[in-house]
Amino acid sequence: MNIITCYKIVPEEQDIVVLPDRSLSFARAEWKIGQYDLNAIEAGMQIVEAAGGKVSALSVGDKQLENSKLKKGVLSRGPEDLYLVMDEQLENSDTFLTAQVLTAAIRKIGEFDLVICGEGSSDLYAQQVGAQLGEMLNIPTINGISKITPEGNKIIAERTLGNEIEVLEISLPAVVSVTTDINLPRIPSMKNILAAGKKPIIEWDLSAVGLQGVTKQTEVISTLAPENVERKKVIFEGESEEVIQKLFESIRKELL
Amino acid sequence: MDFRLTEEQELLLESLREIMARDCTEEYMKECNEKGEYPTRFINALSENGFGLLGVPEEHDGTPVDTMTMMLVAEEITKNGGPHFAFGQALSIVDMLEFGSEEQIADTMRAVKAGEVAFVLGFTEPQAGSDSSAIATTYTRKNGKVYINGHKTFMSNALRAPYMLCMARNADDAGNPDKMNAFSMWWVPMSAPGIKVERLHKIGWHMMDTCEVYLENVEIEEKDLVGVEGNGFKQVLINFEVERLLMAASVLGMAECAFEDAARYANQRVQFGKPIGTFQLIQEKITYMKIKIENMRNMVYRCAWEIDNKMPVQISSALAKLYCAQSSFEVIDDAMQIMGGIGYTTDTRISRLWLDSRVFRIGGGTDEVMIHAAGRAILKQYK
Ligand SMILES: Cc1cc2nc3c(=O)[nH]c(=O)nc-3n(C[C@H](O)[C@H](O)[C@H](O)COP(=O)(O)OP(=O)(O)OC[C@H]3O[C@@H](n4cnc5c(N)ncnc54)[C@H](O)[C@@H]3O)c2cc1C
Repeated sequence: MNIITCYKIVPEEQDIVVLPDRSLSFARAEWKIGQYDLNAIEAGMQIVEAAGGKVSALSVGDKQLENSKLKKGVLSRGPEDLYLVMDEQLENSDTFLTAQVLTAAIRKIGEFDLVICGEGSSDLYAQQVGAQLGEMLNIPTINGISKITPEGNKIIAERTLGNEIEVLEISLPAVVSVTTDINLPRIPSMKNILAAGKKPIIEWDLSAVGLQGVTKQTEVISTLAPENVERKKVIFEGESEEVIQKLFESIRKELL
Repeated sequence: MDFRLTEEQELLLESLREIMARDCTEEYMKECNEKGEYPTRFINALSENGFGLLGVPEEHDGTPVDTMTMMLVAEEITKNGGPHFAFGQALSIVDMLEFGSEEQIADTMRAVKAGEVAFVLGFTEPQAGSDSSAIATTYTRKNGKVYINGHKTFMSNALRAPYMLCMARNADDAGNPDKMNAFSMWWVPMSAPGIKVERLHKIGWHMMDTCEVYLENVEIEEKDLVGVEGNGFKQVLINFEVERLLMAASVLGMAECAFEDAARYANQRVQFGKPIGTFQLIQEKITYMKIKIENMRNMVYRCAWEIDNKMPVQISSALAKLYCAQSSFEVIDDAMQIMGGIGYTTDTRISRLWLDSRVFRIGGGTDEVMIHAAGRAILKQYK
């Protein structure tokens, strides 16, 4: 099975600084592979280990993708090769543009059976890219998948819905987005890390995937951290239903 | 001078931190320490992720790395509150891989691959501590067999390791004044009849056992000789400098661990209406602790770099072990002072670090023995 796993480079949450005007500064942030995308890569690896085939990793973005440690980092987690579409136009790309570029890149890569995405990016978490990508590629698309079992030219996938588990048979090719409980991502050993440095990396810009001149359709006007509020200093004593209800009511009042 | 780590080293340390976040939490360390239990879960996690074979030659299925990388890993483990003994077997098995027979190497690698301790280092005896030449354990040949008799003490891991690398002298050659050629190494199965093990009660290092081992007419075979008869001391000397450095790297990490806890606490703890970090007496401590940590790190990294560049480290490895063992304890002691009463309770890990770091001034060659090793060599340079 030929699998493409998509991932996004995101800033380390702990390094994001809230400035006095409540805007966010990423100036001192280290960049890393999105936490949820690690589950997607691991899901791909487990499939090829069980059923044979190959995993390729794919990411689109701006110059942050050039970071060679991050390239080795993603390859050390198992994929055999790495495809990157890097372009200044893709800085702060919205989900639609991202899905568009991923679609073009996947078409250019050529053969594939399954595309796996994380359940959302660990910075904006819009959970849109997987669904839009499937639509653009015009193939079956399912999100919220918590288990995948390869079976010939289809996969058996599970989704957890409250107390029920929905079992789906998905014909291939397909795009799936996986949840974090699908697996515990493996940790790269030194052997994996050293091997990563020798794996092929294919880099394109927008024109290489036939998308020169595309721009994003949305613009973020501002992102502000919530305002600091004074502590309320209200103490509720006791454990009775009544007290808990009071606590609940007063939190609710604040939020509304 | 380039102090940057390579991308590979950074990624390796990231992997290590991920493993520790999963399987070496402070809660787990505390539990193992309180119960005197070996941290099997963490050791297994390290092993499953290739850290047990890090630094082992490729011919033994390992992943060779330079000394610097080995030291970075050792430092990172203790810096995150992990047990110092969890890593570094690749360095202690060098003697075995170099001098061991095929069978002995197979025994060693079987344990290492399974993430287990391969052998007890059988040197110290009640009358032979710093003075290894006073070792009195003997081997005797009789009816085609070899018999070991003696009493070893401070045997780390004697309750779990399958073999002892036992230093003994030839019973027929007892009065031999020749210190360099009087001793031989034997590969003694710890399960052999005649071996009795008794756990010692230490004030720290609770997660790892250290024992008395009595050997009474322990029967082994001629094939259990390690290397060349009479070459015991020479064989041990091939790798002791890097093992010393490993101890220095481990205590460096312990000092960093305590320092970071104390610095955070100094910013938080309010007395007299202000965080205690605003008092100059606390700032003075923090500053000198930081200087000591920088010094330790520079000595460890530099010595590792010297080893990797095939330079002699007779002096620098002894200086690093001496300085780090002392300074680390001083830093941790100051960290305890900054934490106040809570630092003396088992609620904080400072108390564990304080107890666990102290022994580095004794084990692996005492402070005084390091001075003995370095002092003469330094003076010789000016003769
Ligand atoms: C927790 C722990 C684990 C250990 N694990 C092992 C192990 O696995 N295998 C093993 O073989 N050993 C092990 N040891 C033993 C360790 O190597 C010895 O404790 C160490 O070598 C010192 O020997 P000693 O305790 O007999 O002290 P001694 O040698 O009796 O020293 C007592 C004091 O006298 C000083 N002194 C001695 N000679 C001189 C001199 N010439 N000049 C100045 N001062 C001197 C010493 O520095 C020290 O301060 C372990 C020890 C401990 C505490």
